[in-house]
Amino acid sequence: MSDHDIHSAHAHGPITRAGDIPEHDKHDEHDGHDHNSHDHDHGHGGIGKYLLVFLALCGLTTMSFLTYSSVWPWRDQPHVGWAFMMAVSCTKAMLVVLFFMHVFWEANWKYVLTIPAAMMAIFLALMLVPDVGMRTRMVSQERALRMARTSDVLLMEQAAEAKVLAEPAAH
Amino acid sequence: MNASAISVPHGHDDGHGHSHGQDDGGHHGHLTLQYQPGLPLSRGKLIMWLFLSTEIMFFAALLGSYVVLRFGAPVWPKPHHVHLSEPIGAFNTFVLICSSVTIVLALESARANKTGLAKMWMLLTLLLGTLFLGVKAYEYQAKFSHGIYPQAPRSRIYEKPDLYYGSAVRERLGEPAIIDKLKELDDTPADKLTPEQVSARARLQQVRKMVTSPEQQAFDLAVVADQVMPLPTEGPGGSHGGSGEGGGHGGHVSGLNDIFPWLRLPAVIPGGNMWASTYFLLTGFHAIHVMVGLIVFTILLGYKLGPKDAGKIENAGLYWHFVDLVWIFLFPLLYLF
Repeated sequence: MSDHDIHSAHAHGPITRAGDIPEHDKHDEHDGHDHNSHDHDHGHGGIGKYLLVFLALCGLTTMSFLTYSSVWPWRDQPHVGWAFMMAVSCTKAMLVVLFFMHVFWEANWKYVLTIPAAMMAIFLALMLVPDVGMRTRMVSQERALRMARTSDVLLMEQAAEAKVLAEPAAH
Repeated sequence: MNASAISVPHGHDDGHGHSHGQDDGGHHGHLTLQYQPGLPLSRGKLIMWLFLSTEIMFFAALLGSYVVLRFGAPVWPKPHHVHLSEPIGAFNTFVLICSSVTIVLALESARANKTGLAKMWMLLTLLLGTLFLGVKAYEYQAKFSHGIYPQAPRSRIYEKPDLYYGSAVRERLGEPAIIDKLKELDDTPADKLTPEQVSARARLQQVRKMVTSPEQQAFDLAVVADQVMPLPTEGPGGSHGGSGEGGGHGGHVSGLNDIFPWLRLPAVIPGGNMWASTYFLLTGFHAIHVMVGLIVFTILLGYKLGPKDAGKIENAGLYWHFVDLVWIFLFPLLYLF
């Protein structure tokens, strides 16, 4: 069922605030609810808007892909690229939520559902930082010996460059 | 929640409003019950949004743990170390964005009572979702073929080229089936092998000697690991902090595991096990969500898809956009970081 159904379905009657007593069976401005849900039906739409959002999404995806190519000027500072990509992702997410999921045109209930969930999401991740994120700050020497480190990658790269076994392979 | 507020316009209260139209006593029998949803949206949509808000937390927990694990790890594999292809990931992003557009267009068409068009867009969404899963399966296959699995019995990934790695290689080379295969390989005349295989055979013989040698040195194990499955030094299009274009292996063709797929020797990817756990968990849960979406679309295709079904399409669309949303974050986090 969509909003449209609610407005047209006489079986359900008009939508009012709890306790309000509607005078008639018609639904107009004094019905007490936001008109945003009205706009939802006729205010927006138009395939053009969706295509515009689509183009923006494609453009943004290309932008984050740019950080991977050689035109990206901060290739030696990965943090710049990461921050940029997250900004791009957040923009894309906003576009999808606002326009494809129609949240832009929804009434104020959208805040009730999305803001607590978003807070929960953020705090959930933050609460992991001390135990999980900092898990290798203080480790026993034995563990430090066993766990993979950047030096292991370097060792493998050196092994690749040394070409110890390249000689017999040549002939 | 929705049906809780039921008001009776004529000051008549028959308890809790459960007896629709029931006349208790000598009143006019004219009882108008007023249905009042608490929120200006349909129940289906409300439930879908409630569900999505739990989904936000679900994926936030997964993504949050991934980020925290990744940045807390002493070493994390580069995308090309684990055979991730950025262009394929970008292509999949594009596919999902397209499918988001098509489902929105299906909704608009259904609202405009263009049922044929709505069906067409819905079918296209279904196909795009299937394409996404197909590409995903191809990507998974690339991981599996390199011994990258989330768990130990199948996973052949070792964290570092240490003594444990050496003994694992030795153990694998000592398996009866492999001994037979090696003997067969050694006995094959060189002209029956490709030049690549001949060279690989020579290297394999050296590796076997190195692994079993009593006086092996720490560096030898790194050489063995590099022979078995080298860490590609550059992605196909260049990537962060690379050490020069075209240098190194530039791929993974020279690995012994690639040339002799039956070998299945243990390989070394520093940080690879944690990477595999998070990668398969994140993309796996995402893929399950995609599958559920595809089932929903298949069911919806059985409907007429006119204005009456617009609500169903809208709810399915909300879910699908959310799946797209998750991928929007997964793609840069997994492929480009």
